[in-house]
Amino acid sequence: MTKYFAGVDAGSTYTKACLLDENSKLVTTTSDMTGVNIVAATKKVYQAALSKAGVREDEVSYIVGTGYGRYKITFGNTQVTEISCHARGAHYLFPNTRTVLDMGGQDTKAIRVNARGEVVDFCMNDKCAAGTGRFIEGSARALNLGLSEVGEISLKSTKPVKISATCAVFAEMETQEQLAYGNKLEDILYGVHSSIASRSIGLLRRVGIEPELTFTGGVSLNPGMVRCLQEQLGIKLNTSPLTMFCGAIGAAEFALEKTLAVAI
Amino acid sequence: MPELVAEPMRKELDKAKRMQGDMLLSYFDALSKSGVTGTKIGYSFVMANPIELLATFDILPLFPEITSLNISYRGGAPPLIAQAEEVGYSTDACGYVKMGVASIMDKTKTSIGYIPKPDILFLSYSGCQIYIHWWEQYHYQTGAPIFTIDVPYLRDYDRHVPKHDIEYVAGQLEEMIPKLEAATGKRFNEDKLKEIVRLSGKAWDLWKECVEMGKLKPTPFDAYFESIYYMAPITFARGSQKCVDFYKFLLDELKLRAERGIGPTEREDYRLVFEGVPNYPFFKKFWGLFSHYNARCVASTYPKVAGLVDTGSFRLNPEKPIESIAEYMIHAYCNWNMPVRTHLIERYVKDYRADAVVIHSIKSCRSFSMGQGDIREYLAKELDVPTLLVESDHVDPRYYSEAQMKNRIDAFFETLALRKNRSQIN
Ligand code: SF4
Repeated sequence: MTKYFAGVDAGSTYTKACLLDENSKLVTTTSDMTGVNIVAATKKVYQAALSKAGVREDEVSYIVGTGYGRYKITFGNTQVTEISCHARGAHYLFPNTRTVLDMGGQDTKAIRVNARGEVVDFCMNDKCAAGTGRFIEGSARALNLGLSEVGEISLKSTKPVKISATCAVFAEMETQEQLAYGNKLEDILYGVHSSIASRSIGLLRRVGIEPELTFTGGVSLNPGMVRCLQEQLGIKLNTSPLTMFCGAIGAAEFALEKTLAVAI
Repeated sequence: MPELVAEPMRKELDKAKRMQGDMLLSYFDALSKSGVTGTKIGYSFVMANPIELLATFDILPLFPEITSLNISYRGGAPPLIAQAEEVGYSTDACGYVKMGVASIMDKTKTSIGYIPKPDILFLSYSGCQIYIHWWEQYHYQTGAPIFTIDVPYLRDYDRHVPKHDIEYVAGQLEEMIPKLEAATGKRFNEDKLKEIVRLSGKAWDLWKECVEMGKLKPTPFDAYFESIYYMAPITFARGSQKCVDFYKFLLDELKLRAERGIGPTEREDYRLVFEGVPNYPFFKKFWGLFSHYNARCVASTYPKVAGLVDTGSFRLNPEKPIESIAEYMIHAYCNWNMPVRTHLIERYVKDYRADAVVIHSIKSCRSFSMGQGDIREYLAKELDVPTLLVESDHVDPRYYSEAQMKNRIDAFFETLALRKNRSQIN
């Protein structure tokens, strides 16, 4: 009987899950909005992964939970922080990763990893959500746009607007003010992405930027953010449609190895 | 969830904390009765205070930093901070200042009782810019006179303080004597000062021996979280026989713990060096986030804010009371520049065989926290010492988020665990 290993990442905005087989092959990934009931969301997303892959519950040997809601994953065997998981997940997708930038709903993390994908050093934004995905969400809301559109739109910018604030609470006000000045949507959005990019580059510099740099988390799917980061850093970032699952993939890798479960 | 920190330690070897608590209570009691007893209250800073000279004139020192942290430890910070913000203080002004100012506003009762107003304000100006403005505020509130001692900043300390700097501070202390005579109506008694200085020196020597017990492997005590309790008497009771007795008792207790292999956690899996002021409103929870991993602090800087006792930088000498107080005052922690502070931490890592460094940065205190990013970078990048920097506040609970704090600390220990495994494999 094939054995499977699961990773469930309960993030502030999305919950993600994945399954690996015993050869560390990625079998499936699923995701859904976390919502207010974290316990229900994690169960639902995990069950969806099982049915998508056609795997029975008893075929899963070990489950590792990660993300802010990791202690709410009642069916999991153990928990590992998303910092370790994103590092492992990034290394899984891009084995030459030495630096990881993970940008989620309310957190930005810069992580330096070694050749095995283990965390060497990390830095995070402080308690406030300035400079995180929340700022982009706020701007999107102010402009009545979906989160998935704003990155695309920003790519059309020809005359970027400079936005200096990164405070998530003022995102809407800031954006509306720029609209009132008569600036174009795409130029404002470029400014929004650019401002968040420079803030996260500050975090990256603190741990030291060593190529290859892999961009993970929900915001890594945003082409506007990828562009701004690449422009400002002058290097190419690793991203893929799977980078938002890095936390879950890393968790599943830990499930497979149980390295940390034994160590802590 | 984190286990109870003191649980594995047998009660009989954890008595010094209780003793400290009792001393603190009777000190607060004396403060609150000062109006009745007629004792003069002299406001002082923890860093660089000439408490020996004040005690010579029977002035009872009150340290707003100590009262504020105790109020905060007992959950009483928010109403005081709110009171100060109502009169115009900004959210990011130092929490100690806001609490101190609010605690002597009319009819304010704090979680440790009424705080008496100052009769005299001793301003030892060392390291922190806020000191001047804070004491001025008190002056406006109460009309109490400010006696200022300007302490020259130590740049590039190389185990030598220029003689003229010591003379400069000593001269100011001498000049203060007639002012103290006038303010208290008491004659200066040099023999009394010498005796207080002698007792003070003894307490410092014992405290030094205590902190250096952290070099033992395993350490018999937590040189940060437990030292927060142990460090208080060296400030508020210094110069008294009681203070000497306390440190003697503590030293004996720590020696016994070492003999019996008892420490603050079940085992000692990690040895940490700690830098920064703790967050008092969540103190025990915060400690629990580390003790959960059987991590013990072996050395730390903050418990030495009252005096850098283990650096050989000062020694109280009853034969030269004024000069030695002056020398002590120059060596306040925040009066040392950043590179010197950084090298002290580096030395701790080496001498105390530590695995990692944790820095707790304080949002509303720039004096202590400024430059901590550079310390982290130097340790992590230049010396390859795993270093975690977390941030909240010393008194303001609004800056603390348990989930976020735990997340960073958990991740740090995951990293340390992997590192440990690797070094065991290699
Ligand atoms: S050193 Fe920091 S905590 Fe102390 S008074 Fe100055 S700003 Fe406040």
